[in-house]
Amino acid sequence: MTTEQTIRSLDDPDLFVETPGTIYDAIPPLPPRTEREAEFYAMRDGEMLINLGPQHPSTHGVLRVVLKIDGERVVDLDPVLGYLHRGVEKICENGDWHHAISNCDPLEYIAAMFSEAMPVMVAEKLLDLEVPRRAEYIRVLAWELNRISSHALFVGWLALDLGGLTPVLYGFIERDEIVEMLAALTGQRLLFNYLRIGGVNGDLNHDFLSRLGDWMGNALKRIEDQQKLLNSNEIFVARTRGLGVVDRDMARRTLLSGPVLRATGIPYDVRRAHPYSVYPELEFTIPTREEGDSYARYLLHLDEIKQSIHIIDQVLHRMPDGPVMAKVPRLMRIPPGRAYVSIESPRGQYSAYGMSDGSDQPFRLRIHDPSFFNLQAVGLLMPGNLVADTMAIMASVDPIMGGIDK
Amino acid sequence: MSIITRPWGRLTLAGKVVVPLVALLVLLTVLLLVGFASGALPLLLGLAGQAVGDNIDVVRFAGAATVLLLFTVPTAFVIILMEMKLIAFVNLRLGPNRQGPWGILSSTLHGFKVLAKEDFTPTGVDVPVFTLAPVVTYLGAVMTIMVIPFAPGLFGLDMNIALLYFFAVAGLGVIGLMMAGWSSFNKYSLLGGLRAAAGIISYEIPLILAVVGVVMLAGTMSLNQIVASQAGSFLDWYAFQQPLGLIIFFIAAAAETGRTPFDLNEADSEIVAGFATEYSGMRFGFFFFAEYVNLFIMSALTTTLFLGGWNAPLDAQPLLDLFNVTVSTALDPGALGMGLLFLVALGPPLLILLFTLPIWMLKSDWSFLKSLVVGFLLFNLLVMMLVGTWAYMTFPFVAGLFWFLAKTFTLVALFVIMRGTLPRVRMDQLMGFAWKWLISAALLNLLVTAAAIVVLRDPSMPWN
Amino acid sequence: MTARQDTTEIRISPTNVAAVMTLLHDDPGFRFLILSDLCGVDTGSAMQVVYHLWSDSTPDWLRVIVDGLPRDDPRAPSVTFLWNGAEWAEREAYDMFGIIFEGNRDLRRIYMPPDYQSFPLRKDFLLADDAARSPGQGVRHMEQTFQPAEYRRTPVLRQGLGSDAGQMAPGIQTAILSSGEDPAR
Repeated sequence: MTTEQTIRSLDDPDLFVETPGTIYDAIPPLPPRTEREAEFYAMRDGEMLINLGPQHPSTHGVLRVVLKIDGERVVDLDPVLGYLHRGVEKICENGDWHHAISNCDPLEYIAAMFSEAMPVMVAEKLLDLEVPRRAEYIRVLAWELNRISSHALFVGWLALDLGGLTPVLYGFIERDEIVEMLAALTGQRLLFNYLRIGGVNGDLNHDFLSRLGDWMGNALKRIEDQQKLLNSNEIFVARTRGLGVVDRDMARRTLLSGPVLRATGIPYDVRRAHPYSVYPELEFTIPTREEGDSYARYLLHLDEIKQSIHIIDQVLHRMPDGPVMAKVPRLMRIPPGRAYVSIESPRGQYSAYGMSDGSDQPFRLRIHDPSFFNLQAVGLLMPGNLVADTMAIMASVDPIMGGIDK
Repeated sequence: MSIITRPWGRLTLAGKVVVPLVALLVLLTVLLLVGFASGALPLLLGLAGQAVGDNIDVVRFAGAATVLLLFTVPTAFVIILMEMKLIAFVNLRLGPNRQGPWGILSSTLHGFKVLAKEDFTPTGVDVPVFTLAPVVTYLGAVMTIMVIPFAPGLFGLDMNIALLYFFAVAGLGVIGLMMAGWSSFNKYSLLGGLRAAAGIISYEIPLILAVVGVVMLAGTMSLNQIVASQAGSFLDWYAFQQPLGLIIFFIAAAAETGRTPFDLNEADSEIVAGFATEYSGMRFGFFFFAEYVNLFIMSALTTTLFLGGWNAPLDAQPLLDLFNVTVSTALDPGALGMGLLFLVALGPPLLILLFTLPIWMLKSDWSFLKSLVVGFLLFNLLVMMLVGTWAYMTFPFVAGLFWFLAKTFTLVALFVIMRGTLPRVRMDQLMGFAWKWLISAALLNLLVTAAAIVVLRDPSMPWN
Repeated sequence: MTARQDTTEIRISPTNVAAVMTLLHDDPGFRFLILSDLCGVDTGSAMQVVYHLWSDSTPDWLRVIVDGLPRDDPRAPSVTFLWNGAEWAEREAYDMFGIIFEGNRDLRRIYMPPDYQSFPLRKDFLLADDAARSPGQGVRHMEQTFQPAEYRRTPVLRQGLGSDAGQMAPGIQTAILSSGEDPAR
C-alpha cells in the first residue's frame, strides 16, 4: 500500500492559515512595553479591540486609534501616531534656515502660513532682525485669512463626520475664495512658501486686493447664513451638546490650547498673553464659552471667524507703506544662540524652539504643534461614550496629523 | 482540430461573441424554414399554446415574476440618478453631467462598473452565508412588489392579506443584513450588522402600528381595496384622516430603509461601509439595489395607503359635465380615406422640418444636421405627448400608472433630499426615539382612530 | 516690534527637576501653570531636556534647561505628575533621542514603529547604521546614500557606536566640535 503524500501549498483555499501577528494588528504580538499598554491590552469579558485604522474616512489625516469597546460603548482608547512622520526636524538640520520654510510648510497644511512662521520668526529672533511694518501687517492679514479658511473647513468637517453632507460644501465655498485670493498673492493655493526671514515674498497686488474686497463685502453675511444651517438643527445639537465636556482643571493639566481651551472659559490666547507682531496695535476680543462641550467649541469657532474678519478690516485700514522685506544677506550666518517663539494658530499655541551654532544651518529646530496636546484630550474624553461619538469628539477637537506627526 | 482553433484564437473578444451568435441565428432561420415547410412548426406551436392555456395561472405568475424582477433594475437606476443629482443640487454643485446629456447615463454606467469589478471572497468568511446574504436582502425587497397596485388591473396578486404579506416579506431584509455582518470576517461588519438589526427591528413596530389605523378605516388588508376606497378627490385620501399615521409611517420608513438621518447601517464616517465592508463587485451591487428598491417600495406603500394610490387628485368628469363636453377618444383612421396616406407620408417630414428650420436659422453655430437631429427629437417628443394624452384618456391603467408613479417618485425625492440635508442620529438616540416616542404616538393614533370610528359610524348617532 | 529678549533661561541638573518644577508650578509668586513645550536636544557632547513655561505673573517666557544628561544613558525625571499632557511630549523625546523619563507610565515610541532600534534625531544617527539594525539589512542600499552628518558644515562629535563604526561608513571620520561656538553655552 502506497501512502500518497499530497503536497498542499498556502494558496490552497481549504487551508486557513492564521497569518502571523504583526505589530499593526489590534493586539500586537509583542509583550506590552509599559504599564499603560499592559492596562490597555488586558481585556475583560465581552470587550473587543477594534482598529479605527490609518485608512479611514474620518480620522483627520492618517491616525490609527485602537478602541476597546464593550458593545457600542468605548471603554478605552490608544491612539497610535507616526503614519505621517516625515522627519521634518531632522531634514531642517541638514539644510539652510531658508530651506526650513518650505520644509515646515506641510506641518499644519490647512493653515500653512502659521507653520511657515515658525522658522521665520525663530530666525528673526536669533538675528535680532527688525521686520518692516508693512511686512508685519501683511503677515497678520495672511494669518487671519488662513484662520478663517481653517475654521470654515472645521465647521464643514464636523458636520460631515456627523453625517450631514451639505455644510462641508458650504464651508468649502468660503475656503475656496480665500485660497484663490492667497494664490493671487503668493502663487500657491495650499502650501504658500510666502513668509521670508525679514519679511514676506512679495507685495500685495491688484488681483489679491480686488478678490479680498469682493469677499469682505459679504463675508459676515455668509458666515451668518452658514450659522443658520447648523446652529439650531435638532439632530446636530443633540449629537454635540454635552459631548466631550472638558473642564478647566483637565484642560490645564492636559496642556490644551486654542479653541478647545477657550471653550472651557479660560481666555488664554497667545496674541494677548504674549503679543507678537503688530497684534498689540489691533483691537479684538477673545471669545470664550463656558460649557466646554463640542457644541461650545463649534460656536466658538464661528465667533473666532467674526473676530478675524474684524481684524482684517482694521489691518486694511491701517496698512502702512514701506518695504516688504528687510535687508538680509543672502548667506545668513546666524550668531549662536537659542530662541523660542510662539504664535496663535487656529488650533492653539504653535511654538518653535531654535538653536543656532554660528553656521547657516539650524542646529536644532523644534516645532511644537498644538494638535499634539489636543489629541491627548481625545483619549481622556472618549471612555464612556459610544463609538459614533469618537468621530464627533475628534472632529470637534480639530487635530491635523501633519503637525502631530511632523 | 487546429483548423478550428487557429482562426478562433485570432478572433478578438467581440469576434468570439459575434461569430457564435451569427451561427446560432443562421441555424435558427434554417430550422424555422424547414419547420414551416414541413408543417411541423404550426403543430408544435399549437401544442405549446394548449399547454399554456391549461396552466394559465402558472404562466401568468411566471410572467409577472419576471416582469417584476426586470422592473426593479430600471427603477433602481432612476432612483440612483435622482439621488446623485438632487443631493448635488442641495450641496450647491452640479452632480454628474458628463455621461449623456445632464448625466442621465451615469447610473447605467455605474451599473456596468459594478458588474465589471472583481468579485472576491475574503479569507475566513463563512462562504454560504456570505454568498446568500445579498440574495436574501434583495429578495426581501423585491418580493413585496408583487402586491403593490400600480394601476387598475396592473398588479401582481390581489390577496386579502396583502398588507400582512408585505410586512412579513419586507422584514426578511434584516436577516440578509445580519448574515452579511456576521459572515464577513470583520469587526466593522459585525458592528454594522448588529446596528442594522437593532435599528430596523426597533422601527418595525411603529411602522406596523401606524398602518393599523388605515386598516381599520378601510376595513380590509387588501391593498387594491384600500386604494379603491380612496377614490374621489384628494380629500378622500387617508392622509387627511390619519395625518399622525402618515408622519409616523414616513419616519419609520426612513429608518427601515436605512436612509439618513437613520443610516447608521452604513455610516461611512464611522464604520467604513458597515455590514457591506467586505463586499465588492456585483454582491455589493445587490445590496445597493436592495436599498433603492426598498426605498421605492416604501414610498409606493405610503402612496397606496395614505395618498390614494393610483387615484387622480381631481376627477375630471364633473368638470366636463359642467361644460357639457364629451370627449371621445375612439379613433377611426380609416375614415380619412386617401388623406391617411398623405398624412402618414408627408406629416412627419413636414413636422420635423417645422421644428428644424427655426432652430437652424436662430442657432448660428449649429450645422443643419445637428438642428435636424434636434428637430427629430422634438418631433418624437411631440408625438409621444400626443400618444400619451390619448392613452391617458382611453386606458384607465395609463392614467393610474401615471399618478401612482408621480406620487411615489415625489416621496422618493423627499427621502433623497432628506439625505442631503440632515446629519445622522446616534444609535441610542435612534432606538430611544423609536421605543419611547414613535410607539407611544402610534398607540395614541390607534386609540383616537378607534374611538372616532365607533363614534362616527355608529348608526344611532344623529349625523347618521 | 515686540521685545526680542523676552525669555529668561535657567539651567538645572537632572536631579532637581521635580523640585524645581513643583516650585515653579505651585508657588503663588511664580504660578508657571502652563508648560508650552518640552523637547530634547542633542548638543554634540551631552543631551538636554528643555522646558518652556508661561505664567501670568510675568511677560517673559521661562526656559528651563536640564543639562548634562550623558549621551549613552540619558535619564531625566518626568513631569507628568504636574501636567499629564506632557506624557506624549516625553514619549517623543524618548523616541527621537533615547532620553528615558522616569515616572512616565507610558514611555514607548510614538512616531517610529515599536521595533525600531535607532534614535533618529541624535547627531550620530547614520542611515547606514540604522539600515544595518533594521530587518532590511543588506537589502537596502543605505550605505550609498549621503549621510546626514555629511551635510553638516560644522562637524559634530560622534560618539563611538562600537568597534565596527568605522567599517559601516568608512568615509565619515569622527571629529571634535572645534570651530564655531558651542550652542549649549
